[in-house]
Amino acid sequence: MTTTNEDFAPGSVLDGTVYPTSKVQVFRFSGATWNTHRIHYDKDYAVGEGYPDVLVQSHLHGAFLTRYCTDLAGEDGRLAALRLRVVKFAVAGEELTVAGTVTAVTALDSERALVELDLTETRGSDGETCVTGSARIEVPLARVGSTVLDAAAPMEGAQP
Amino acid sequence: MAVDDAVLERLREEVGVEHTEDLGEVSPILIKRFAAAVGEQHPLYTDSDYARAQGHADVIAPPNFLTAVITWTPGAPYDSLREDGTEADTHLPGVPAQGVRIMGGGEEMEFLEPVVAGTVVTRTTVLLDVNERESRSGRMLIARYQDSYTDPAGSRLLQSVRTVLLR
Repeated sequence: MTTTNEDFAPGSVLDGTVYPTSKVQVFRFSGATWNTHRIHYDKDYAVGEGYPDVLVQSHLHGAFLTRYCTDLAGEDGRLAALRLRVVKFAVAGEELTVAGTVTAVTALDSERALVELDLTETRGSDGETCVTGSARIEVPLARVGSTVLDAAAPMEGAQP
Repeated sequence: MAVDDAVLERLREEVGVEHTEDLGEVSPILIKRFAAAVGEQHPLYTDSDYARAQGHADVIAPPNFLTAVITWTPGAPYDSLREDGTEADTHLPGVPAQGVRIMGGGEEMEFLEPVVAGTVVTRTTVLLDVNERESRSGRMLIARYQDSYTDPAGSRLLQSVRTVLLR
């Protein structure tokens, strides 16, 4: 994913990224995180709980949001914070799309800027929102829009 | 059974009590398997030589790795697992092992330092607060747990607040 300066301006709607899922992936994620809950591998159990199939783990949803943010931050930036809440289930096999909107951009100092984002993750089968969240990423000041640069160095005589 | 006054009382006693656990060493293979499972191919997480060239001692973990691992123990015997396959120890101090329905209510993570493979990690868990509300399906308790992950030098690597809904 590439970003331009204009991407990191307040109100910018960023391109979404699609993360496919599969039963093999959900199984491997359970193994890698020692998640033994039947809801992620036992379809009969999942159906008994009222779901159509085995479910994507909440932390795998979180991993997709994390990937989206670390890709945005890039090698010269960093993900500082992530908040998320799973509001609707996704079954293994869904394509999940994470997308972000920039809510605020502020200069941290003369070199770094803080970009705040709202995030959603939607499922491909019906467009329902599975996850809502927000994130803070830090990037070099050069990667954000000029409005932020102006704010970081207020003009003389500006009103408080 | 559902949540009752006894459960609420037990949780209120738990507020502010710190529980510290040694999670052991975060090994390179744990991190690389996690990255593979997520589908993450960035070499910082998958290639030890690349990570060293970037100035790290080994691969680093994707930011949410520490909080995503459900159990850091070798695993309980089969006859002590719950019906849903999970361990009786839910990493929720004060919540009874049986009879309470547990739902995730969201998580907020602050990533403070990179988690480098080889680091021995300690986690301190504390129940911040517990509140109750009436929902359509009856009484519900809302508990917020804070997990702080630190390295042997005492540096905080990550802090997370989990909100858990109990019915």
